[in-house]
Amino acid sequence: MKAIECRGLSAAYDKRLLDKGEAVIRDIEIEINAGSSVAILGPNGSGKSTLLKSLCGMIPHKGSVKLLEKEAENLNRRQIAKSIAYMTQLSEIFFSYSVYETVMMGRYIHSRSAFGTATAEDRETVDKALRSTGVEELKDRQLSSLSGGELQRVFLARTFAQGSPVLMLDEPNNHLDLKVQSELAGYLKEWCAQPDHTLIGVYHDIPLALELADEFILMKDGRMLAKGSREDILDKGLLEETYGFEVRKYLGRIEKLLN
Amino acid sequence: MDKVKRSSKLILSILFALAALTLAAGLGSVRVTPGEIVAVIANKVFSRPLPEDVTASIVSIIWDIRLPRAVTAFIVGAMLSVSGAVVQALLQNPLASSYTLGVSSGASLGAALVIVNEISIPVIGTLMLPAAGFVFGLSTVLLVIFFSARLDHNLRNHTIILFGMIVSLFVNGMLTLISSAYSRHMNRLILWQMGTFAGRRWEHVGLLAAICLAGCVAVCFFNRELDLMSFGEEQSLAMGVDAKRTRLILLILSSVLTGAAVCFTGVIGFIDLAAPHAVRRIFGSSHKYVLPMSAVIGGSFMTLADLASRTVLSPQEIPVGAVTALLGAPFFLWVYFGTRRKR
Repeated sequence: MKAIECRGLSAAYDKRLLDKGEAVIRDIEIEINAGSSVAILGPNGSGKSTLLKSLCGMIPHKGSVKLLEKEAENLNRRQIAKSIAYMTQLSEIFFSYSVYETVMMGRYIHSRSAFGTATAEDRETVDKALRSTGVEELKDRQLSSLSGGELQRVFLARTFAQGSPVLMLDEPNNHLDLKVQSELAGYLKEWCAQPDHTLIGVYHDIPLALELADEFILMKDGRMLAKGSREDILDKGLLEETYGFEVRKYLGRIEKLLN
Repeated sequence: MDKVKRSSKLILSILFALAALTLAAGLGSVRVTPGEIVAVIANKVFSRPLPEDVTASIVSIIWDIRLPRAVTAFIVGAMLSVSGAVVQALLQNPLASSYTLGVSSGASLGAALVIVNEISIPVIGTLMLPAAGFVFGLSTVLLVIFFSARLDHNLRNHTIILFGMIVSLFVNGMLTLISSAYSRHMNRLILWQMGTFAGRRWEHVGLLAAICLAGCVAVCFFNRELDLMSFGEEQSLAMGVDAKRTRLILLILSSVLTGAAVCFTGVIGFIDLAAPHAVRRIFGSSHKYVLPMSAVIGGSFMTLADLASRTVLSPQEIPVGAVTALLGAPFFLWVYFGTRRKR
């Protein structure tokens, strides 16, 4: 089964710009198999986040997008959220909720009535999400009292709680210290290991991407430069072409400093 | 927050509301005891016989003057607070309130046009002023939403706030122009804008209560969407909320609530801003509690503010908008710092 399939996808943040042909990303063709882990790489402004948002139908776009083999056009927000759990970049928090309340919000798409209470399944899923992101002890804390790393894990738990088979992450290890980054990678690996779980991530951190993903999509200037396996992108100097500098030499130099 | 603690807070809030209403009915140039108030209400509502020591003038003071006034204040406070809570969450801005969208300026302009042109339509009679205020207030918000949607396909927060401010300022400019051109009406215009609950009757209460109840119940159906939307457009979309449609519905609902409140009483500030914050401090941010408790706390607070406005310098009345700010600011500080220290 295909988790995501898109043909001739162009997208912009303003519909009028899209109609005028001033798209931020254009002519993207992607097929992602269910159960795979895909990394989207590219320099700043190459359209990585835009690609994620257009796949989720959050911004004006043209071309066809299929989510779990259904035309995205015919899906409402709730149905899209049931296919894709998308974790955005961290944003400012204006109103503080408890960690438990926040993670429970991930269950919104599964609830029927506005005043219904959480079902046993909701509570079970939330507890599991809290455990699998290591924030169980924080569940009664307020968001306003958490550190950046704790917050990121809480939002990951909320994304897990959605229970959707496709997980999309937008630079999940932004602002996180190294220890939290490695913990996060662990949680994500565990999630990926379950059958038919598809992970699609935008990463700035190439080592993390190499660790998590088995397929790679390289973006440059709003277009897809290449896609392929780890070997494909490492062998042909594609990373260098994408970023416009000696990526592997740089990473190698850092490794030498550490040893 | 554990359930026992929360439910005891709920009960305390409701007692606070009852106390506020009782005080508002009992205090004034003629003091009336709570027992007498209950006797009058029992007599009027359930046709129970009155005790002998309750005179006709007391009945009239309580039933015809103080109670409708107090209940109007309560309902208006509730409407303003609920719509304030909604707009704050929708626009992700703790400093926003439904006045941000231009309801109050629009309503004031509508009222001003009626006052200076001395328009009166026999059938509507005294409802002419509120009706004009309501229609203008709501049209102003619709104008703001229309412009924002034209400019910004996604109807984002900052676009709405910006247009709300621009349209408000523009409408205020027209208002100033009208006031200076028709200076003989200036006094009445200013009085209307300052807001008062004096002379409110049960007819007002009935109409307001109906709008308040319908609006608040409708808004409460969106309590989970409001929770999700307070994390912003992107996150709410990602979690499955139809953000644009929900935002549109809620903006209109909260504008109807504010518009109805403003058009019957004038522009009374501060409660719409402060009450939701106080409630969030006490009950947490979950809108399942924030919305109903904003109504209870905001309503009680407005009732007390109106009581103060007519008793402190009696027989002279202080504008109730001044009281809400004078009493509200210290109360707000107390709630804010009081609950923060505990954490």
